[in-house]
Amino acid sequence: MPESIRLALAIAAKDIRAELRSRTALLSAVVFAALVLVVFNFARDPTALSATVLAPSVLWVTFALAAMVALNRAFNVEREHGALDGLLLAPVPRGALFGGKLLANLAFVGTVEAVTLPLFVLFFNVDLGAALPGICGVTLLATIGFVSVGTIFSAMAVRTRFAELMLPVLLLPFMVPPLVGAVQVTSRLLADRPLSEMLGWLRLLALYDVVFVTLCTMVFPAVVDE
Amino acid sequence: MADVPQNGGYMIAAYIVTPVILVGYLVGLWLRVKKAGGS
Amino acid sequence: MAVARRGLVLSVLAMLALSGVYVLALSHTPIEARQGLAQKIFYLHVPAAWSALLAFSLVGICGALYLWLHDPRLDRFGAASAEVGVAFGAVMLTTGPIWAKPIWGTWWTWDARLTLTLFLFFLFVGYLALRAALHDPGERARFSAVVGILGLLLVPFIHLSVYLFRTLHPQPIVLKPSKPSLPPEMLRTLLVSFVVFTLLYLGLVMLRYGLALIEEAAEEARDG
Repeated sequence: MPESIRLALAIAAKDIRAELRSRTALLSAVVFAALVLVVFNFARDPTALSATVLAPSVLWVTFALAAMVALNRAFNVEREHGALDGLLLAPVPRGALFGGKLLANLAFVGTVEAVTLPLFVLFFNVDLGAALPGICGVTLLATIGFVSVGTIFSAMAVRTRFAELMLPVLLLPFMVPPLVGAVQVTSRLLADRPLSEMLGWLRLLALYDVVFVTLCTMVFPAVVDE
Repeated sequence: MADVPQNGGYMIAAYIVTPVILVGYLVGLWLRVKKAGGS
Repeated sequence: MAVARRGLVLSVLAMLALSGVYVLALSHTPIEARQGLAQKIFYLHVPAAWSALLAFSLVGICGALYLWLHDPRLDRFGAASAEVGVAFGAVMLTTGPIWAKPIWGTWWTWDARLTLTLFLFFLFVGYLALRAALHDPGERARFSAVVGILGLLLVPFIHLSVYLFRTLHPQPIVLKPSKPSLPPEMLRTLLVSFVVFTLLYLGLVMLRYGLALIEEAAEEARDG
């Protein structure tokens, strides 16, 4: 197994390096996230609803939309450079290839989330405090869930003419369980609730990740091979 | 015992909508068969 | 083509049988005391849900089998089942709120049934949209299969999410529809309706499958 893992890491590193050089996916996603946050801020009445009540939903809607922008751009850049074809001709095990793509996409989306979170704290004046490690944890769990399915769907969407429309149409239903779980856990974290109240949702998130990462690894060959 | 609610209108609406959708789809399918040059 | 014709005959017969269900539902079943006449929507809504779920499961199963066996008939069947599923899904999404309004006082509620219906509908639509956007038959079949499989596995998670949400946020429910123990006339009518809707599903799928065959033959005649 270590050979596959090494390959996956190498593939991920190559993608990340390529993205760091062009920065298109990252920048568009970050700018998008900032804009979404600004719109949310102007859309609500600060006297009617406190920031803490809205915070989990706002944060996660922003994360979800930004993730889609990032996923779309990442695969588009890939297609423009034709890098995937070269990899496919080489005898790279498809599981390692998917793992590499997944790790790279996780890095992209994770970076967008890492930039968005402080912006969110700033714009909405929310005190994360002791909830920060928990929020990082649940963010990782939920992101793994929707990025794994998102990697599969962006690979498919990129072969259609309306990729920017096809990806959300396909992906949004699959983002619902991780999003619902993440919002529920985040709101409990911010309200300083005991862990017992979050266990059900955390288990849902973990189970979703296990099932869909496995499933996506298994179907990836059908997406990239003839 | 409380009165039985008078909501027959809803039942009629549902009982009409259902065959409209199903027959509509069926007819649509058959028209597509004809158009594609079928039996 | 023979398949299309047989499908048409079966569908028409099933629709005629549906009128038989109407007769049963309207004159041979008692009126539910708490829900009134609106309760009778149940004889259409629940079997339609069954047909939609059947359609959906078969899309997923055919997808998995296609990835294993590469038989184009599986892909054709999956596509037919998805389209027919949209029709039954539409019936669910209309009769559901029509039933909910008089019983629960609201057109929509995020309970397990309606939420799942909505998701099935989105998944079907996504599946068909993807197929429409792909032109290479092999690619279309493979990608559809993947969406079908992933979609099928999403369903239990939607169910689980709704369940978790509701146990933590109990919603006041004015009246509970369809309890497990039904009086015999209701049960009989429901079962007959299930059979009719299943036959209708089969007929429509055959017709749609036949249409696909005809279209493929016409395409080949054009290219060849």
